[in-house]
Amino acid sequence: MPTLDVPEERLRKFKYRGKDASMRRQQRMAVSLELRKARKDEQTLKRRNIINSCPYPPSEKPAKGMPGSLTLGEIIKGVNSSDPALCFQATQAARKMLSRERNPPLKLVVEAGLIPRLVEFLKSSLYPCLQFEAAWALTNIASGTSEQTRAVVEGGAIRPLVELLSSSSVTVCEQAVWALGNIAGDGPEFRDIVISSNAIPHLLALISSTTPITFLRNITWTLSNLCRNKNPYPCEKAVKQMLPVLFYLLQHQDSEILSDTCWALSYLTDGSNERISQVVNTGVLPRLVELMTSSELSVLTPSLRTVGNIVTGTDQQTQMAIDAGMLKVLPQLLRHARPAIQKEAAWALSNVAAGPRQHIQQLIAHDILPPLVALLKNGEFKVQKEAVWTVANFTTGANLDQLIQLVHSGVLEPLVNLLTVPDVKIVLIILDVFAYILQAAEKLSEKENLCLLIEELGGIDRIEALQLHENHQIGQTALNIIEKHFGEEEDEGIILLDQLLDQDNEFIRITKN
Amino acid sequence: MELSDANLQTLTEYLKKTLDPDPAIRRPAEKFLESVEGNQNYPLLLLTLLEKSQDNVIKVCASVTFKNYIKRNWRIVEDEPNKICEADRVAIKANIVHLMLSSPEQIQKQLSDAISIIGREDFPQKWPDLLTEMVNRFQSGDFHVINGVLRTAHSLFKRYRHEFKSNELWTEIKLVLDAFALPLTNLFKATIELCSTHANDASALRILFSSLILISKLFYSLNFQDLPEFFEDNMETWMDNFHTLLTLDNKLLQTDDEEEAGLLELLKSQICDNAALYAQKYDEEFQRYLPRFVTAIWNLLVTTGQEVKYDLLVSNAIQFLASVCERPHYKNLFEDQNTLTSICEKVIVPNMEFRAADEEAFEDNSEEYIRRDLEGSDIDTRRRAACDLVRGLCKFFEGPVTGIFSGYVNSMLQEYAKNPSVNWKHKDAAIYLVTSLASKAQTQKHGITQANELVNLTEFFVNHILPDLKSANVNEFPVLKADGIKYIMIFRNQVPKEHLIVSIPLLINHLQAESIVVHTYAAHALERLFTMRGPNNATLFTAAEIAPFVEILLTNLFKALTLPGSSENEYIMKAIMRSFSLLQEAIIPYIATLITQLTQKLLAVSKNPSKPHFNHYMFEAICLSIRITCKANPAAVVNFEEALFLAFTEILQNDVQEFIPYVFQVMSLLLETHKNDIPSSYMALFPHLLQPVLWERTGNIPALVRLLQAFLERGSNTIASAAADKIPGLLGVFQKLIASKANDHQGFYLLNSIIEHMPPESVDQYRKQIFILLFQRLQNSKTTKFIKSFLVFINLYCIKYGALALQEIFDGIQPKMFGMVLEKIIIPEIQKVSGNVEKKICAVGITKLLTECPPMMDTEYTKLWTPLLQSLIGLFELPEDDTIPDEEHFIDIEDTPGYQTAFSQLAFAGKKEHDPVGQMVNNPKIHLAQSLHKLSTACPGRVPSMVSTSLNAEALQYLQGYLQAASVTLL
Repeated sequence: MPTLDVPEERLRKFKYRGKDASMRRQQRMAVSLELRKARKDEQTLKRRNIINSCPYPPSEKPAKGMPGSLTLGEIIKGVNSSDPALCFQATQAARKMLSRERNPPLKLVVEAGLIPRLVEFLKSSLYPCLQFEAAWALTNIASGTSEQTRAVVEGGAIRPLVELLSSSSVTVCEQAVWALGNIAGDGPEFRDIVISSNAIPHLLALISSTTPITFLRNITWTLSNLCRNKNPYPCEKAVKQMLPVLFYLLQHQDSEILSDTCWALSYLTDGSNERISQVVNTGVLPRLVELMTSSELSVLTPSLRTVGNIVTGTDQQTQMAIDAGMLKVLPQLLRHARPAIQKEAAWALSNVAAGPRQHIQQLIAHDILPPLVALLKNGEFKVQKEAVWTVANFTTGANLDQLIQLVHSGVLEPLVNLLTVPDVKIVLIILDVFAYILQAAEKLSEKENLCLLIEELGGIDRIEALQLHENHQIGQTALNIIEKHFGEEEDEGIILLDQLLDQDNEFIRITKN
Repeated sequence: MELSDANLQTLTEYLKKTLDPDPAIRRPAEKFLESVEGNQNYPLLLLTLLEKSQDNVIKVCASVTFKNYIKRNWRIVEDEPNKICEADRVAIKANIVHLMLSSPEQIQKQLSDAISIIGREDFPQKWPDLLTEMVNRFQSGDFHVINGVLRTAHSLFKRYRHEFKSNELWTEIKLVLDAFALPLTNLFKATIELCSTHANDASALRILFSSLILISKLFYSLNFQDLPEFFEDNMETWMDNFHTLLTLDNKLLQTDDEEEAGLLELLKSQICDNAALYAQKYDEEFQRYLPRFVTAIWNLLVTTGQEVKYDLLVSNAIQFLASVCERPHYKNLFEDQNTLTSICEKVIVPNMEFRAADEEAFEDNSEEYIRRDLEGSDIDTRRRAACDLVRGLCKFFEGPVTGIFSGYVNSMLQEYAKNPSVNWKHKDAAIYLVTSLASKAQTQKHGITQANELVNLTEFFVNHILPDLKSANVNEFPVLKADGIKYIMIFRNQVPKEHLIVSIPLLINHLQAESIVVHTYAAHALERLFTMRGPNNATLFTAAEIAPFVEILLTNLFKALTLPGSSENEYIMKAIMRSFSLLQEAIIPYIATLITQLTQKLLAVSKNPSKPHFNHYMFEAICLSIRITCKANPAAVVNFEEALFLAFTEILQNDVQEFIPYVFQVMSLLLETHKNDIPSSYMALFPHLLQPVLWERTGNIPALVRLLQAFLERGSNTIASAAADKIPGLLGVFQKLIASKANDHQGFYLLNSIIEHMPPESVDQYRKQIFILLFQRLQNSKTTKFIKSFLVFINLYCIKYGALALQEIFDGIQPKMFGMVLEKIIIPEIQKVSGNVEKKICAVGITKLLTECPPMMDTEYTKLWTPLLQSLIGLFELPEDDTIPDEEHFIDIEDTPGYQTAFSQLAFAGKKEHDPVGQMVNNPKIHLAQSLHKLSTACPGRVPSMVSTSLNAEALQYLQGYLQAASVTLL
């Protein structure tokens, strides 16, 4: 699942140009585990058709109370009949059963062994209505658990479904697109079977300027499922085939199409720099950045994520995103009403801040520090976390002037406040940021002022208290900061008693606590 | 070792002996046990004893011995033998949980500790059954057993609260959650039900509440790293019950003890922590529960008494409110005027009151009181929590809150006015309230730096603070006196000078107060006022303004040191130091008395130095006396030597380690004050300073180096003529220092002084050896710090002895060495040199190498000429290279060791910055230009061609700038 709510996702891909060895090390500790409830993906993985209006002309519409209410036994009997009409009736009944809004009996239908027959029906090109009903029923089965999807695949449905993509009946064709989307959405294994069954060229062939919008939405969604999932990623050839079409779809005005196209791109950019490169080279960036200003959350979210993925890439790729204007858009996203957007935006920003000094400079030039500080102050914790990472990356990569600007932006106050947050990693990062900024201030002979500022904000009390933290690394870092920078207040440079009395330099600590 | 009765008997005997008060019996027994603990079955014998021994003492003793054995031996250290055989390990793990749960509490505790030690190593992989075993016990219904399990679980899981996220950690937590979360939840529900069933049974309730506390702690640990799916799904169960428990009270659980928190308090405190955890980290999911918790916690605060036992609960609860009220999306929970009034009135004001416990501390434990009150070590106190809440509320509601409190302050002051001797505490609370309301930001150095503009601080000062301090009786209402003085202290930057100056004689007067807190605060306030800066960075108060009070000030300060409890009061001593520093010459008339008093103090405290800060300020005061007096009259130095040397000798003879570094610094100062040659009294000391034992203590090194530098500066000729045999000893010190990564810069300070001051012929024979030592160190462990010092040294050498001499000494050690040093060290590393004097030394030294060293012009070294010039221009123009190689990050590097002895611990013994190049060269860039010009006249045509062929364009441009500035050209 490509959601960024999985923090390690970010960690793994995190660019880190920091100088501090300890911070870099933490980056490598990628955790592939979650304690959290798995987040519902913003994009639907599989979809079930619950539209009960039949696309057929009224004449073909079955009479009320007739086949729709067959029992499972009757259905089994029906599909196994050699009479196409009976088969149709039974299949339609099965489809209706499976389209029930509440607890459709997927399991029962699979266990009843209907799938092989349904797959058979897909091939009965003489009876497009039957093909349609079978495809629909299979679509709904494939929307179930992985096990149920597997039953569809193992029932041999993929190949006939791909063949249906060339069906002359638009409705059959559309239903096949849908079914394949559900199968591909299950995971990399089935996705790759769909791909290797040569589905992509057929799918692409369906797209033209005259494709009806609802159909086009379906195709786009299925394409996005063909881009989805990693371990492994879809093969390069498949990606190459799809990219030009995705670029084309990205110019569309329909928000559903845009949303699914952006999701597709977000999956493709969620990987190595080479993968990012493939996408970026199609020239999608300007349009993506434009979509980041969309008022539709469903478009904004995946476009932002895609751009966020891209800036995890090389400095050059990041530069391209900046050139496309991402930094112009980020401030308003950092101020977005939704915490989830703030968080994604801050995440993207953290990776720009991890870049070279020119990037940091541009970040300053676009006036991004004020909204960043506002998030540090008032954001939800998950947003604050991303903002802290941004500051940490900024700090380790910045030159002295840039650090000064950072401090002047008022970043220290919220950082001090966050020192009491119950998250050891964040506390440590903040301590490292303080150590880093203090060291820089020392070079500028500004340390005294900075120390006073930190003290005013209540920072010394908090850092002192952290010396006793049960986490050894936090305790030690806090102790080092206190000893090195706050050893003793004094105006006239008096006292470095602990240095002087090396043999018992414990006392300062003891008397202070 | 078999599991036999005989062995059990022997073990019992030895265990008994380990309890014997007589070391002659105890020690051998302990030795014996240690000698046999490596045998198989030893731990099982202990477990058998602690279970089955008839003697209770032996049972306990066996359990303690067992725990210590586990602590020492369980962990398998890589490359070391496994100290417990596998069979024993398996047997221990198979039995210990059961044993622990069936043992009486005393033994249970030891075994529980042992389980957590084992768990830390083996859980979960190597102890897969532990969780199931524990969870199964939840079914037992026996809360003695259940609490044992919970306690063990707590000791195993509490590390989740402070360890960094890692794959390993999260795998473990996941495992624990899968096995433990549901049973824990069920237990939680069941326990709460039992609480209502047994609502009238005190002893049952106590056990059940202990369980609830442990369950709540486990909740915290399991929810710390992230919000687990299970707890998100079951949030309602937990939060509803937590909420109910917060509001619950039961007479049977109330304790009579005023100090010790009872079970109810502990439980509610933990629930506040749990709620705070969710509010801070999982706000999105917790949002809908939060308002209820705010109300419950606030009601809790309103109904909780003043007793000390509630302190933790109250401060946790207030901190919860404080953290919530400053978050924008919860602002609405507080903005109602009635809510605000109620919080101010019922939560904040009562918790700011001066309580009996505070009064006790004020009188009987004043040091602790001062530390808490002045230095902010009051983090967990109610007052502090209440202050934090005021600050939190002021973020959004400064106006209304100030308004509400103003009313309160007034009414409390009125109460006080009605009957001061009874109602003085009302005034204390009023002052405290004003202080916490007005102070938005504070530092030790400046007091309050940002104040609430809605509070008129000066008016309050004039109307309510000054009158108290003006009262004739300094011992009346000591708490209010202390409050008033503290008010001056912290608002010193807000109250105008004309009002502050009025308070100075009052403060001086209060130095005589009997209360330790009062006279300490008076001293501290004076010290802070005297440190304040006015325009132009001069002190705010001039010596002239304080002049009328000099005598009484000095008298009262020293008298305060004789008050009971204040004989080594660091605040008073610091005030003495600061007064000297401010008053300067004005103290000279009193200097004889002052130095006598200080010397007496010195002698007295040197018997048993225990207050490092006091001692430090005392030495600073001594240094100040010397400087101030000798500046006016250098000859007076003799008087100081007379007064001090006796005490110093005693300190040195008795080896008072804490003071020796100070003594050396004061002596350095005295020695430097002598204008002429070094007095013989010092020369007599010289050989002693070279004794290795003195240098063993790292604390002595900076001061000793400083003193030796003073000797070299003042007495190099005397040393060369009368103590030439000591030069090897001096170099021995250098050799020792240079060998240490921590102290090598000190070695260079010494070496630089030797090179600079000693007559060349006196060190001639040692020079080559010195360089060899430096090279050895370079080879063995090259650090950035060493390189920096080394560069300064060779350039100083070059200045002092000439460029040719430097080249010759290098090449004398090994042919072509000079070129190597240039190429591998000077050219690439010169950019790292820091410090103005240091850079100047290097610039002048390199200029000499470029222009006064013939081999640079016409040997194979010539190819290095332009690169060297380029690097010199880099030194002038490029930013300092402060990168440090990765591997050096963890070496304890002193900040920026320079040519100067930068440590300067005693500020007032500090030496002036010394520039050995000083007069010779003012502007090193001009000097370079002139020198190049001179060189070019000696060999016309060569210099311009060398410069133009390979110097890069930017450097060339800079160089042309220098030449222009010096109005010279290259021929």
